[in-house]
Amino acid sequence: MIGGYPIELLALQLFTGLALGSVFVLLAVGLSLIFGLLTVVNFAHGAFYMLGAYAGVFFIGYLGNFWLTLAVVPVAVGAVGLAVERWLVRPLYGRGIDYPLMLTFGLAYVLVEVVRILFGAEGMPFDAPDVLMGAVDIGVGYFPAYRLFVIAATGVLVIGLWLFLERTSYGLVIRAGARDAEIVRVLGIDISRVWLLVFGLGTGVAGLAGVLSAPMRSVFPDMGTSVLVEAFVVTVVGGMGSLAGAVVAGLLVGIVVSMTSLFAPAMSEVSMFVLMAVVLLVRPQGLFGKKGLMG
Amino acid sequence: MTNTDTNILRAEKVSMRFGGFTALNDVSVTFPEGQLTAIIGPNGAGKSTFFNVISGAFPPSQGRIFFRGKEITGVPQHRFARLGIAKSFQITNVFPQLTALENVRFAIQCMSQRFNVWTPRGRFREMEEQAAALLQMVELDKHHHRLAMNLAHGEQRALEIALALACNPSLLLLDEPTAGMSPEETTAMMDLIIRLAAQRTVILVEHKMKLVMGISNRLIVLHHGELLAEGTPDDVRANDEVRRVYLGQGNH
Amino acid sequence: MTLANPQEELNVSGRRLAGLVALMARHRVAAVLGFLLVFPFLLPYEALAVNILIYGLFALGFNMVFGYMGVLSFGHAAFFGLGSYATGIVIVHYGVPWLPAILIGVVAAGIGAAVIGALATRTRGIYFAMVTLALSQCVYYLVYQLEDLSGGENGLRGVDVYDLNLPGLNLTLLDPLTKYYFVFAFVAVAVWLFSRILASPFGAVLEALRENENRARACGIDVARSKWLAFVISGLFCGLAGALNAIHLTIVPIESLHYHTSGLAVMMSLLGGMGTFFGPFVGALTFLVLEDVITLVTIHWQLFVGALFVFFILFFPRGIWGTLLHWASR
Repeated sequence: MIGGYPIELLALQLFTGLALGSVFVLLAVGLSLIFGLLTVVNFAHGAFYMLGAYAGVFFIGYLGNFWLTLAVVPVAVGAVGLAVERWLVRPLYGRGIDYPLMLTFGLAYVLVEVVRILFGAEGMPFDAPDVLMGAVDIGVGYFPAYRLFVIAATGVLVIGLWLFLERTSYGLVIRAGARDAEIVRVLGIDISRVWLLVFGLGTGVAGLAGVLSAPMRSVFPDMGTSVLVEAFVVTVVGGMGSLAGAVVAGLLVGIVVSMTSLFAPAMSEVSMFVLMAVVLLVRPQGLFGKKGLMG
Repeated sequence: MTNTDTNILRAEKVSMRFGGFTALNDVSVTFPEGQLTAIIGPNGAGKSTFFNVISGAFPPSQGRIFFRGKEITGVPQHRFARLGIAKSFQITNVFPQLTALENVRFAIQCMSQRFNVWTPRGRFREMEEQAAALLQMVELDKHHHRLAMNLAHGEQRALEIALALACNPSLLLLDEPTAGMSPEETTAMMDLIIRLAAQRTVILVEHKMKLVMGISNRLIVLHHGELLAEGTPDDVRANDEVRRVYLGQGNH
Repeated sequence: MTLANPQEELNVSGRRLAGLVALMARHRVAAVLGFLLVFPFLLPYEALAVNILIYGLFALGFNMVFGYMGVLSFGHAAFFGLGSYATGIVIVHYGVPWLPAILIGVVAAGIGAAVIGALATRTRGIYFAMVTLALSQCVYYLVYQLEDLSGGENGLRGVDVYDLNLPGLNLTLLDPLTKYYFVFAFVAVAVWLFSRILASPFGAVLEALRENENRARACGIDVARSKWLAFVISGLFCGLAGALNAIHLTIVPIESLHYHTSGLAVMMSLLGGMGTFFGPFVGALTFLVLEDVITLVTIHWQLFVGALFVFFILFFPRGIWGTLLHWASR
């Protein structure tokens, strides 16, 4: 027992934190990718997350298969992201860093309202597949199978993304982190294609986060609103533009929120902000951020 | 603390590392008051890094800087102007959408009125007059009401000097003031610098050796982040190491 | 666009402004207040006019940081909301009269701005927007939790100020026109103060920070502290707007603290024209009148707002007043 709580309970709560954190990781990774290369803070990121959840509802109706839906949703949402980059964000690149930010903010309103028109304002259910229903014995107790799946899926995606960034020439360009670096010409890559790819990838991952979350939280048009804030907190804590930062910070924030809801439930929503404030005071560039980008 | 130094600026064992790369290694140098000292060296020698350290842009990884005997290592950049140390940047750094006069007037205002939220600026007549005088000194008196972004390149660099002079500095630091200038503009700038050096200490970073040979009292030569030579132009010209480095790299 | 100093306003992009616009620029406070004085008679109903006054003030305060200093904050809802809630709470729970209540609201907003500003100015550039959004959302969650004081999800109700209790005058806020001029009195003072601050040496500091932060630093400006001060002053103005809003609505909705409200300030400022003196009120007017008109036809007003905002960003980033100034200077 620790602090009056049995170890098993604490461990289970930790795992809940990991599941929560996994969604944060996916969001922060997408946000960081888009920012790292395009210097764009995507204020519509929460809306793309929401689109992912609704795309999930839509496709599962047609395809009937959860796994297929899981594969199709990021592509569908990413496609919307591609269009957004090409037609709305790209014209703003010369203008100053605040403009794409403001544009995506306005875009979020449009996306949410379109969904509201198409699907109505009421929440919609989205069930996890039968094979993932129920709980699994993880040694310290029974833990929902679906949440384990989310943790695992996030892990797979992060590894896949890491390989992509480290092993491919597109990944090299993205890691170089500049919108028009010399490196692009040297490698003979069309930079506008990389912009498209990055925005599509970032939003696609947000969409994936949305459809993965759907069985855990309900699906409603405003679901992206609070998620955007959570994504920002994680990004500030982890440091923008860093994959490691997104992963570590995402899991950390998830665990902090989860543990706080056990010890002091009223403070659980505020706990992540306290963490963020501490990071701002002690290390303003974030845990893995580069100095000079922040503070 | 009385200043027993006749040196206005002193760098003691200054090193600067960026990640794995060492830009400056154990550089110790003194700058006598009242003289024009030029920091020269081939490209990549660490001149700009050294300039940034002594002008307060960032603190050195190791080592200390002294101004008139008092340590200023790690003092935040915004305090330098009030100490009497002014700088100009290598890439022109002015306020683009303010007029030339407003640019300089602002720099003068910074010396006394930073947090005044009440008095209308128009009341401070003397500041405008001082600004006009400074613009005349750098020969921009015909351009008072032109927006800084509409000035020619050489005029912008002159404006930059006027901004630096606004704080009435005893030490003026100039980073490649003739960068990107035509021959006529360069001559005008060098004349201005000589005039300015008559009344205050000037430290100049320049990679065109010919320009500074004739006007400097002292030269400091950097190479690969280390101090290669220092002394009068004649001393440096006669220095074997310097000849090897410069002649080996072609004419500058 | 340099428009803090009336002299500069005449040299927009180096060209002289035409006639009436130039005259307005020179006497900007009088122009704004003169228009607002007769304003209620131009609109179908006074409540809309009061809303425009209040949100215009909100956007004005926000503009100090966004338009004049060039820093995008997404956290100004915190100051508007803190002003509303502080004023509302002392009226509802402690029976404080309206004038000290409004002052308390302003001070509360200022304190909030001081704390949030101190944390947020530790960051640079684009992070500022994210951090301010997150911190102000934190305030939202905190106030949401303090149900006994704030009313939680349902907001604070019963901010009833009707009789003004001014000696010799029999004024009541139940009369819409009286309410308008009551709010106008505060807005007038605020507008005058704002103009005064812009014309002061600190106003030049704001513009210098927008134009070239590094240069300002080399000239001797403590950038972080100056930004913080601007943030606090801006917060005070937004707090006043919030305080007035509490009295105007007699309730304080929890949405006042949500980042959507911060977004309103951004949208109105951009719509009207960032960094211009008239922009905030033009933006508030345009936004609120459009909302009024469009919600008669459809409930999907948000779609229109978002699309309009996107449209302006792509094609009219100077905003309505800014574009007008630009055309007038040809």
